[in-house]
Amino acid sequence: MLIDTHVYVGHWGFRPLPWRGADGLLRAMDAHGIEQAWVSSASAILYRNSHAGNEELHAEARGHGDRLVPFAVINPTYADWEHDLAVCHEEFGCRGVRLYPPYHRYTLGDSACHDLVAAAIARNLVISVPHWVEDDRERSWLLAQPGVTPVADMAALAQAHPDGRFVFHYGIGYTETALGRRGGVQAGYGLDIARLPVFVKEELPRLLAEIGPERLVFGSGMPLTPADVPLFKLEVLDAPAAVKEQIRWQNARRLLGGGV
Amino acid sequence: MVIDCHAHLSGDHTGITRIWGKSDAALIAAADRVGIDVSCASILTTALPAPLADFQECNRQTAAATRQFPGKVRGYCYVNPGYTREALHEIRTYVEEHGFMGIKLYNEYPCTDPILFPIVELAIELGVPILQHASHQHRPIPSQPNISDSGDLAVLAARYPEAMLICAHIGGGGDWEWTIKAARNSPNVYLDTSGSVFDSGMVQMAVRVVGAERVLFGCDTSFTAGIGKIRAAQLTGEQRALIMGGNMARILSQRRA
Repeated sequence: MLIDTHVYVGHWGFRPLPWRGADGLLRAMDAHGIEQAWVSSASAILYRNSHAGNEELHAEARGHGDRLVPFAVINPTYADWEHDLAVCHEEFGCRGVRLYPPYHRYTLGDSACHDLVAAAIARNLVISVPHWVEDDRERSWLLAQPGVTPVADMAALAQAHPDGRFVFHYGIGYTETALGRRGGVQAGYGLDIARLPVFVKEELPRLLAEIGPERLVFGSGMPLTPADVPLFKLEVLDAPAAVKEQIRWQNARRLLGGGV
Repeated sequence: MVIDCHAHLSGDHTGITRIWGKSDAALIAAADRVGIDVSCASILTTALPAPLADFQECNRQTAAATRQFPGKVRGYCYVNPGYTREALHEIRTYVEEHGFMGIKLYNEYPCTDPILFPIVELAIELGVPILQHASHQHRPIPSQPNISDSGDLAVLAARYPEAMLICAHIGGGGDWEWTIKAARNSPNVYLDTSGSVFDSGMVQMAVRVVGAERVLFGCDTSFTAGIGKIRAAQLTGEQRALIMGGNMARILSQRRA
C-alpha cells in the first residue's frame, strides 16, 4: 500500500510536465504502486483565479474517487474565496486545501491566511503547503520574488492552529523548527519525505529519532518531480519494515481520516 | 560498474577542507549503500577563493583517501587557476604520481578566462577531464560572481576541441533546460546529472539533446536524488549503462600518465 500526499494534474507554466490529465496520473500511480493520491491543480498556482483550476481538477478527478483525493487550491487574497472553498468542499468533494503563498502574494502569517486555515479546519479539511513548486534557483526571469514558503512559517502556522491537520511538502530543515521537535506542535501534521536527506545531513533518520515515524508521510510532487526519488529514500532508509509502512500509507490515511 | 563522476570527500575536519556533514568513511558507505562502485572525488577548500596552501592540503588529503579506499575513490586535483605555476605543478604531480583522474575547477574564474588556458592544455596533454562547477540562473548569484555556465564551457570547448570538459551538476540548481541546450553543439562537453534537483524530464532531455554518450551519472553528495532521477528517466538499457558508468570509464581510459 502506498499513498502519495502530493500530486498534480494540469499545467505548470514554466516547463512541460510528463502528463496533464488524470489518465496520465493514474498510469504513473500504477507504475509506482501508488493506490491513492492527494491531487490538486498545478494550473491553479499561476491562474489569477485559482478556482478555475479547481474546476478543471474536478472534471479530471470525477469518476476516480477511489484513487484520487482532490485538494483545492485557494487564494485567500482573491475575491470570493469563501465561495470557492464551499464549492470545493461541498460540490467537488475536496478533502483538503493546498496553499501557495509566494505565488498568491501573501504569507502564512497573514491574517487572510489564518482566516482561510480556520475556515478549512471548520470544514474538517487538511491543509497542505509545499515549500516550493520548483527549486528557487530555477526561477523564471518573470518572477521577481522567491517562490519559497519557509519551513519556519509552516511551523508557526501549525502552532497557531492546534486543532488543525497539516501536511507539508518538499521541505528540508524541519529539524531546526518546532515541527522537528517532539511535542513542538500540537496540531496533527505530516512531513513528506521527498527532499529529506537520508545520507550526509541525515534529516530523515534524525526526524525518525526525534519525532518518531508518525509524522512522516510519502509525497512525490508528481509530475513536477518523479516518485522514484522518495521511493528510493524508503528503499535505502535504515528502518524496520513496520516504520516504512507507516510512512508509505498508514500515517497519511490516519491524517486524512482525522487522526493526528 | 557504476561511477559517480562528481563526488566530494570531507578530509580531516580540521578547518581547511569543506565538510559535507559526514566523515569520508560515512560518505563512501553511503555510496556503497546506493550502489556506487567508484567515486571520482575532490576535496574543496572552506576558504574561497581557494588559497594556495589550502588547495594543496585538499589534494594531499584526496590522495590519502585514494589510498584509504582503494578502487572506490579516484581523485580530482582541485586548483585555483589564479596560482598558475603552482596549479600546473599540482596537477602534473597528482595525476602522474598519485593516479588522479581529473581536474576540478570551482568558481574562482569563469572558464573562458585565459588564465585557465594552460590548465586546459595540461589536461589535454595528460588525457584527463576537467570538472567545471557551473550553473545558469536568471539573476545574479552574488556569492559566485565568476561562476561559469554551459555556454561558457561551449566557448572553451570550441577553443580546445581535444579537451574533455564536464559541465557540473545540471541538477545543481538553475535553469537546467538552458544548460542542456547551450551544450548541444559542443561534442567535447559532457553533462553531469548530479545535484539535489530531480525535476521530471531532466535526464531525458539531456539524453535527447546531447545524446546518451555525453551524459554522466553523478551525485555531488545528493545520493538518493542522484540515483532516483536516473531510475525515473525512460532510457534504454544501453543508454542507462553509458550514463551510469560506461561514458566515464571511456573518459578515464584516455589518461596518458
